[in-house]
Amino acid sequence: MQGKMTGFKCKSCGRVMYPRHERCLGCKGTDFEEVELAKEGILLTYTKLYALPEGIEMPPLVLGIVDFGGVRALGQLTTDDVKVGMKLRPIWGKLRKLGGREIYGFRFEPAEKS
Amino acid sequence: MRGVAIIGCGMTKFGRLEGKDLMDLLAEASLRAIDDAGAGERDFDSVYVGNMMAGELVHQTTIASALVDRINLIPAAAERVENGPASGASAVKNGFLAVASGASDLVLVAGGEKMTAADTDVIGDLVSTMTHPTAEYAHGVTLPAMAAMLTRLYMERYGVTERHLAMVAVKNHANALKNPYAHLQRKCTIEGAMSSIMIADPLRLYYCCPISDGAAALVLCPAEKAKEFSGEPVRIAGFGHATDTHAVQEREDPAVLKSVQLASQHAFKLAKLEPKDIDVVELHDAFEILEIAQSEDAGFFPKGEGHLAVEKGITTLEGELPINPSGGLKARGHPVGATGVAQIVELVWHLRGEAGERQVKDAKRAFACNFGGFGNNTVIHILERMG
Repeated sequence: MQGKMTGFKCKSCGRVMYPRHERCLGCKGTDFEEVELAKEGILLTYTKLYALPEGIEMPPLVLGIVDFGGVRALGQLTTDDVKVGMKLRPIWGKLRKLGGREIYGFRFEPAEKS
Repeated sequence: MRGVAIIGCGMTKFGRLEGKDLMDLLAEASLRAIDDAGAGERDFDSVYVGNMMAGELVHQTTIASALVDRINLIPAAAERVENGPASGASAVKNGFLAVASGASDLVLVAGGEKMTAADTDVIGDLVSTMTHPTAEYAHGVTLPAMAAMLTRLYMERYGVTERHLAMVAVKNHANALKNPYAHLQRKCTIEGAMSSIMIADPLRLYYCCPISDGAAALVLCPAEKAKEFSGEPVRIAGFGHATDTHAVQEREDPAVLKSVQLASQHAFKLAKLEPKDIDVVELHDAFEILEIAQSEDAGFFPKGEGHLAVEKGITTLEGELPINPSGGLKARGHPVGATGVAQIVELVWHLRGEAGERQVKDAKRAFACNFGGFGNNTVIHILERMG
């Protein structure tokens, strides 16, 4: 069980990145600290995938890009009742089974239950 | 840098080519290009072979060494060039640089992929491994999913509708009907496209390219030596090559193909030309939204207005700026490593006036965009008629 979804903040210029880079995308700095992303993000775009990849059983697989105020993350959505601009929050869970191994990571669920 | 000429070109038919393996295809395309150049008796200095997945798909590695053996170009320097779906154009670029630098006087560039013998799920997964391993791939992202998310951004922001995607597909299928090398030789209607199965909402099957086999090849030499060969030469006036962040979500604006913008700007600068000078264009429409987005980011239309050009018919064969006269990846097909080379073969035919029924009238300058990853690596070439 993982707690918070984190990004990597460049100690030189303050830019927050996700995923991790060895050198900052802004200033090429090499020192980072792990920082928690905002608790909620906004859905920027999404798709409902019917041609499924390995290890996903039920269509559709809903995937989206969530904006946490400048830093963004791509991931699975827990609902197919989706709309661009909706608020989402990260929740730890199983992503898919790959090569016999279960992969875990952050998925996104609606921040306000309807 | 020395000027570089394309003096020969050739390709195989694209499609489901049963009974022909990858080396058969590469050898066939290469010999056609060498024959076209009238270079059969000549010694080649170097060979570049664009290919993405031979090891994984057909269980053969070091295919450039195998090709020089098959068609006896020994002892030419030979290597495979891998740059995802832009492997073909990367091979062309390497050939261009070898001649431009003075290191090589006669170069064969080939590109090929044998895909249809493999299981569709295996291909889908292999192609998905281009995406960021932890930030994208692990979550179940596929290339159609990436294209779908870009499409939705375009719909939200610029008013692109599903009908625009269908219009691009209809145009490219119509062009492919005039191209004997094209994989999909059938008419596509707006209604047919818009009722095809949903792959990745809002992308239906007809807004995605097929899985194809095929190969294409070019022969390059210094422009000043082009007259020694029989083929009508075409000059490579410029190239551009640029990268962007691996994960799409990290881009300053995920709706902007910055690697296309930069590669295009570099290519135009080197060629001392502008977008308005171009008469015919081949773009990387693995998904129809990419033809629209690339037509903007390459500099032909303002951002957000590519779909308006489609509406007005500007990009049809008879329009002011024909895009994908070959049928594009959508209908000519997309044997991944072959595509970037095949785009240039198509444009050479237009510049020579040899494109048959789909000939773009009096084409003098041409532009090709080969797009790797999901936009994180783009290679562009500009070609010009000589003399």
